[in-house]
Amino acid sequence: MEVVKKLTKKEEEIRKLIRAEVPWEPVGPTPMPEIPDLRSWDMRLLKTYKPWYAPFCDLCCLCTYGKCDLSQGRRGACGLDIATQQARIILLACLMGCSAHAAHGGHILEHLIEKHGADKKIDMGTYIELEAPNIRTVVGLKPETLGDLKTVIEYVYKEITHLLDSTHFGQEGSYLDYESKALHASMLDHVGMEVADIAQIVGFNFPTSVADTPLVDMGWSSVDESKPVILLVGHNPATSTTVIDYLRENNLYDRVEVAGICCTALETTRYSDRAKIVGPLSRQLFYVKTGIADVIMTDEQCIRTDMPIEADKVDSRVIACLDKAMYGLEDATDWDTEEIVKQMVEDKKHFAILDPEKAAEVAVKVAVKIAPQRKKEWISDEEAIELAKKCTNCGVCEQVCPNLINIGDGITELAKGNFDLMKQQFNQCIGCGKCDQECPLNVPIFKIMQVAASKETWKIRAGRGAVMDTEIRNVGAPITLGTIPGVLAFVGCSNYPDIDDVADMVYEFAKRKYIVTLTGCAAMVAGMKKFEDGKTVYELFPPDFDAGGVVNIGSCVSNAHISGAAIKIANIFAALPLRGNYEVMADYVLNRVGACGIAWGAMSQKAASIGTGFNRLGVPVILGPHSSKYRRLFLSRNEEDDWSVMDARKREIVDTGEPSPEHLAYVAETKEKAMVMIPKLCIRKNDTPQGRSIKLNHYISLYKKYMGGGLPEDIQLFVRRDADIPLVYKKELRAYLQQIGWQPKEPVGLPTLIGTYPSKVPLDAVIH
Amino acid sequence: MAMIPLHRVNVLTGIKSARLIEDASQYANFILKAKRPLLVLGPLLSEWSLDGKLAIEYALEIAENANIPICATATVKGKMVELGTKPDSVYDAVEIVNHLKDPEWQGVRKEGNHDLVIFFGIRSDMEEQCLSVLKHFAYKHLKTMTLDKYYFPHANYSLPNFRKDEQWKGFLEELIANLTKEG
Repeated sequence: MEVVKKLTKKEEEIRKLIRAEVPWEPVGPTPMPEIPDLRSWDMRLLKTYKPWYAPFCDLCCLCTYGKCDLSQGRRGACGLDIATQQARIILLACLMGCSAHAAHGGHILEHLIEKHGADKKIDMGTYIELEAPNIRTVVGLKPETLGDLKTVIEYVYKEITHLLDSTHFGQEGSYLDYESKALHASMLDHVGMEVADIAQIVGFNFPTSVADTPLVDMGWSSVDESKPVILLVGHNPATSTTVIDYLRENNLYDRVEVAGICCTALETTRYSDRAKIVGPLSRQLFYVKTGIADVIMTDEQCIRTDMPIEADKVDSRVIACLDKAMYGLEDATDWDTEEIVKQMVEDKKHFAILDPEKAAEVAVKVAVKIAPQRKKEWISDEEAIELAKKCTNCGVCEQVCPNLINIGDGITELAKGNFDLMKQQFNQCIGCGKCDQECPLNVPIFKIMQVAASKETWKIRAGRGAVMDTEIRNVGAPITLGTIPGVLAFVGCSNYPDIDDVADMVYEFAKRKYIVTLTGCAAMVAGMKKFEDGKTVYELFPPDFDAGGVVNIGSCVSNAHISGAAIKIANIFAALPLRGNYEVMADYVLNRVGACGIAWGAMSQKAASIGTGFNRLGVPVILGPHSSKYRRLFLSRNEEDDWSVMDARKREIVDTGEPSPEHLAYVAETKEKAMVMIPKLCIRKNDTPQGRSIKLNHYISLYKKYMGGGLPEDIQLFVRRDADIPLVYKKELRAYLQQIGWQPKEPVGLPTLIGTYPSKVPLDAVIH
Repeated sequence: MAMIPLHRVNVLTGIKSARLIEDASQYANFILKAKRPLLVLGPLLSEWSLDGKLAIEYALEIAENANIPICATATVKGKMVELGTKPDSVYDAVEIVNHLKDPEWQGVRKEGNHDLVIFFGIRSDMEEQCLSVLKHFAYKHLKTMTLDKYYFPHANYSLPNFRKDEQWKGFLEELIANLTKEG
């Protein structure tokens, strides 16, 4: 007898919000999911990929019952144990990241609705019909206008409130449930990012449906210091695009330099290919300290919190353009423009100006007026050597350096006229300025480092936004069959632990015909190394989402287009419905899309939520060594864990014994080890023999290259049949397998986790 | 006064910090008393040099003299092969720690989990985090020790912050000598 479930009022409301009656696809089981709706999926993931906690601290200090000692099995006054406290902190970090992007999306949406109206149509260009894969999958809505995006962002806001509530004293008591909530928050982060970037693409006319975006200049030498310089720092392009509009409208664009740091820089080059990228987050304090910027405009996320203080030291002026960071400055939004300009020029004042148009006008006028008086220039080699001679190499700088660099050695070598070590250290410097602050002899380390800073300029491709549907149609089959060995996403922050690492990894894997995508500061540092013929990876490799392509997707919020591409493979290529159907999409990606994220420099809370969002979608992420300080990973224990899947064709559970992918969130100690791990984490149970053989070929060859020869210790776990063995290693691997008594096993026809755990999703839903 | 680790990112926020040991014979006793010790070696051992002798060579001598199995993390295996030896196991630092926290794990020699884990040569912020995992989740069945020249608060036993490499070198040589004598 068919059971007809009566819709609750809440479900009716959701169906109304997502216009369920519009039949572009049937509505799946979880439109606008709330905390419990995808919990079963999370618990299934967490069964294999158990949380690994490395507490930063023995204590909980979040309420006045504490401080509570949670070490050695103790519980706090509220009953919380150390594992649950770590999970709670992780949830808080993911919520910070999620709200940063969601608030960015919400703000940009308000700005653009004000400018274009809520009915402004979403048009992502000729080659993108599936415009919002995350939104369609999670929310169940096909957004048609900017106004529809508002419905989406309000859903995200609501969920953030419920999730944050759970971190209050005396609530959630299970680390697994906190992790499920962190996964939920981070999935929502990808929704919020998608809202932000779709709004930007539509509202600012950023590139879309195109791969070959312009190559733009990067590096501080790309900035013409003879002109007035406006430096934009942060992530939100409302201000930067308005500055460019103002310059264009007033025929000033040839007379004023617009440069950016961090994601605002990437966004600005999506608007104007004449804008300059100074560099990633790590270059922020260096550049500000040079005083080259006449006016610094800040917006939100990853901006120095001491910007007005640093600006004062070099006579730069600051305009805080968003309410997220107002620095205690006077709010001059409603003031007369000329009065603000006068006070900034004559009294050297900084202001908060929350109206982008007014901020833009003020910035240009102030920069033009004060630039001729600017007497700031790079330090000379001789001056640096003299300053360095004060250093006694006491070691305090090394003690406070987050990247553990022995800066004292670099400075003392420089004092002798040898710049080599300092140049190397500059590439490792994350730009926090702690060494400068702590030096007991007040050696101006940052100033001295200017002589080690490369004066080179590099080429980076402007961010192109979403992957095109047409590209997905071309690569869907080779990715899921394994003949394109993997889709890599280099995401996250800065140059931690070394600036060359990301470029080296991108080069290695693009050569090996992986599809390499990049976003944010990782996209910038990838372009800050020159290879053969003095070319960067953006000049050496094609910009297509195809084998061997190096694709700059865009800023941090463009990460949603990478998760979106994975969803598109399931929807466009495999024809699985996505509407309100998150579990099916994630299950498909986990078992069949050989994708791997590399958040090598990750340090921020946003990077935590971006990565954790990929994890819920079934994409493993490799982090750099310092990221062990995030204090949580998702690790399996190789063959000792549960690698059972449902073979959906045979409708039976099969114990594959194959740890693919082996981990979901993993820290590699070195770039070399990460390069051995990447091909392994791209292995999927769905690989054809040909695809598996290609993937194993890369795994073995990189292992031999970096691990001193031989075969990987776990190679037998990934060989199902003789046909999986790469031709070039046939003899060696066959001999090894025979020696250890390896037995062949049948590949699984249609691997899925659906059917192996309690879920609302029927097994038929994964059969396409 | 509590010992402060060299790298401030590793400063302890908590209650229980490592016992600081400067006497190599005491370290040797702990190692020799352990039933199933394990040496976890990190990639910095191939970079650190003491008077022209790589730190990894000290590590290999310690392992050999006290018959301690080696877990090579990152790309340490490559260096060991170059030096004519092979590790007993190859895991990354976070992976071996993930196994070690399970009391039922059978260890790298399949003889039971280890009761003393000696860390050497991992980047200090990451090593401290690995020690934290074991401090909080394996305290009932194993103890941890470090051989790097810095103080690690999350270990059970740690060396001090040696101001000079000669002090560290002296400690390692004395430790090797004590292990040889006792062994």
